[in-house]
Amino acid sequence: MNGESFHLNLMKSGEVRSSSPVRLRVMMPLLAMLATIGLVIWWGSILAQSMIIGAQIKTIEEDIGAKRNDHAEVIEQQNLVRELKLQVEQLEYYRNGVRAIGEPLAKLAEVTPVRIQLSELSIAPMPPQNLMPPNKKGPPLWGPTTNVETQKLVIAGRATRETPVQALMESLDADEFAKLVTKSRKVNSFKQDTSQTKDGRRLLAFEVEYTMPERRFAK
Amino acid sequence: MKSGLLHNMAPNAQRAFLVTLVFSAIAVAIYMFGVQPASDSLDKETRRKSELENDQNRMNADLRGAETVKKTLDDMRAQIAPYESAFLEPLLESYAMRAKSILDPLAMGAGLSDMGYTDEPFRALPLTKPMARQLYTRAAVRMTAKGSYQEAVSFLLRLEKDLPLVSLQSIEITARQKPSEQSIDMVLEWPAKGKVTRK
Repeated sequence: MNGESFHLNLMKSGEVRSSSPVRLRVMMPLLAMLATIGLVIWWGSILAQSMIIGAQIKTIEEDIGAKRNDHAEVIEQQNLVRELKLQVEQLEYYRNGVRAIGEPLAKLAEVTPVRIQLSELSIAPMPPQNLMPPNKKGPPLWGPTTNVETQKLVIAGRATRETPVQALMESLDADEFAKLVTKSRKVNSFKQDTSQTKDGRRLLAFEVEYTMPERRFAK
Repeated sequence: MKSGLLHNMAPNAQRAFLVTLVFSAIAVAIYMFGVQPASDSLDKETRRKSELENDQNRMNADLRGAETVKKTLDDMRAQIAPYESAFLEPLLESYAMRAKSILDPLAMGAGLSDMGYTDEPFRALPLTKPMARQLYTRAAVRMTAKGSYQEAVSFLLRLEKDLPLVSLQSIEITARQKPSEQSIDMVLEWPAKGKVTRK
């Protein structure tokens, strides 16, 4: 015995790797058991949540069921309101396009000089409505592609001279005739007429065409 | 080889290994047949609850606004009422017949005579966006009569006063020998239910 110590290693090579004092044979079952218990708790909590949500769903469904008839009535009323708004809107298009020219026509008689004899006053009928789509492809449309209509007012008559005709045209420029005519006018003809007055004077026949204010079928 | 490995283990290590194996199997089974389906089911129920809550909230909001909707509906009915009383509806399948029954008293009151009425092609009104289920159109009727210019104007003034939604589409007053018997030809328009037939 020279004082040197003798060390005998009795551990297996697999045991050398672990520095933990708790053996793997204890840890592994314990971890597996804890994992299992954890999963059971997780499962339980999910089932509990599911039950709570199920109960809440039942309550909501009962509430919805109880309100269903009242709600259906409200929905029906909402749909009706939407439909009536659209109908009123289309009828307002019509109302905004209504032409009322009684008053200016009454005033026309007042401003027509006595030396003028009107032979014709006319607003020509509108041409047939074009309901074809712009590219002419597909079926006709339910409504026109334009919401504006323009017509012409033709005033024809006879006069002894051109001065009364000029006076009539100037009178029609007044604002009180704004519903009847615009400032845009064209003298279609102004010529010697074959007819004569009682005192033998030759008459002049005239025809003036006015552009009328637009009828706008819109809001 | 594995059984050899197990065989070489100490008895308590073997027991630990088996216990671990059993618990692991139980854990996997719980996850696969318990947690996973329950979790999927919970997700579905959560989504269903969310949808139902949305429906419920929408319903409650709609029901809270029921009074407003009812008031708006009454307003809309009041707005459409003047038009409904002005619609031209056919009499004996003829719009001209209906126009005659409406316009004859006015024309006679204005002093016109020899009135005649014929149906004219209807004109479509511009459409709204979106389009209403019930469309309206411009019903047109041609009226011919005899009378003076003043009588024709008087008729138009009465028409505008009594039937403000009737519109003059066209007019032609042509002079005749007698000033009291001028030829009057006019096309009048009414609002009417329906749409222009597509050909």
